[in-house]
Amino acid sequence: MILAQQADNLQDISSQTEGHILIKVILILLLLLVLRAFLVQRSLILAKRLSAIILFLVLVVLVIFPEVSNWAAHRIGVGRGVDLLFYLSHLFLLLLIVGLWRRINVLTDTMTRLSRQIAIYDSSKPEDRNPAHK
Amino acid sequence: MSEPSIWIVIPAYNEGPIIKGVLEELINHNQSYNIVVVDDGSSDDTVAATEKMAVHLLRHSINLGQGAALATGIEYALKQNADIVVTFDADSQMRPEDIDKLVSKLNEGFDVALGSRFLGVKPEGIPLVKNILLKLAVVFTKLTTGLKITDAHNGFRAFRADALRKIVITQNRMAHSSEILSEIARNKLRYKEAGVKIRYTEYSKAKGQSILNSINILYELLTGGKK
Repeated sequence: MILAQQADNLQDISSQTEGHILIKVILILLLLLVLRAFLVQRSLILAKRLSAIILFLVLVVLVIFPEVSNWAAHRIGVGRGVDLLFYLSHLFLLLLIVGLWRRINVLTDTMTRLSRQIAIYDSSKPEDRNPAHK
Repeated sequence: MSEPSIWIVIPAYNEGPIIKGVLEELINHNQSYNIVVVDDGSSDDTVAATEKMAVHLLRHSINLGQGAALATGIEYALKQNADIVVTFDADSQMRPEDIDKLVSKLNEGFDVALGSRFLGVKPEGIPLVKNILLKLAVVFTKLTTGLKITDAHNGFRAFRADALRKIVITQNRMAHSSEILSEIARNKLRYKEAGVKIRYTEYSKAKGQSILNSINILYELLTGGKK
């Protein structure tokens, strides 16, 4: 009886570790996909490429050894590693949004000036369309 | 000295059903007006309806907003050596005879003449909530620019060319009204209000600014524009 229970427990533990490995593999694959999608941009400057790769490596380490994030969190006074990552990702996303927003503003500005110049260049006077006008 | 050339700048976005009538009314009022219609990427027959009229026609490739269309028309009019530029709406809310009132203010020596619904002529048919918001906009303008005016969001304005060259419009959408006022304050231009009558027709009410849009305007002012 006891033995059977112990065997059950063991099975539980082994399926758990299998689960752990599975989620780790999935996460790393996803990270790889994101990294690839980022790096295929031809116009990317070297500094951005390098920081993307470094960020990727850090995240892979965190996926494989989640305790590292706990350790880092405790060092700076945050309760759990997950919380620390949560804060950092929020900060990162906010920065990203501000950057995108500024870029959209610049783009809109450029688009406006382009449309304006085209409109003025292609403008037609009354007499252009109908000689009877004026 | 010859008469100053008066240029009427009209931004138009999907005003197909009504723009011909608006232009005819303007031309009938004064044949010597140079009329500039800026089509802001309309998807209806605004361009087709405008093409037949004796006006200057400019077209934005895409819809950029009323502020952007105004700025385009103004730049064009100034390039054509306009002496006076009047901004006018395509939705038949404004009366051509009020242009004379604005221009006469310029002749009195002011740089800018601003149309006001609350001056002289008794305003009619302004929806109550809109009225309250317009009053709030006046207070907002006083606080942010120091300008003392009675109507902060009236698109009916007249400018002398030299003053207009100093005004920079960066707000593409609706916040340009407030922007023009702060530009007037920044450049210390001499401004004067003149009473104009705004016709609140069913068409204009359906097309015009929804009241909720004032929140958008505030948001645009806080975030948009140049960097």
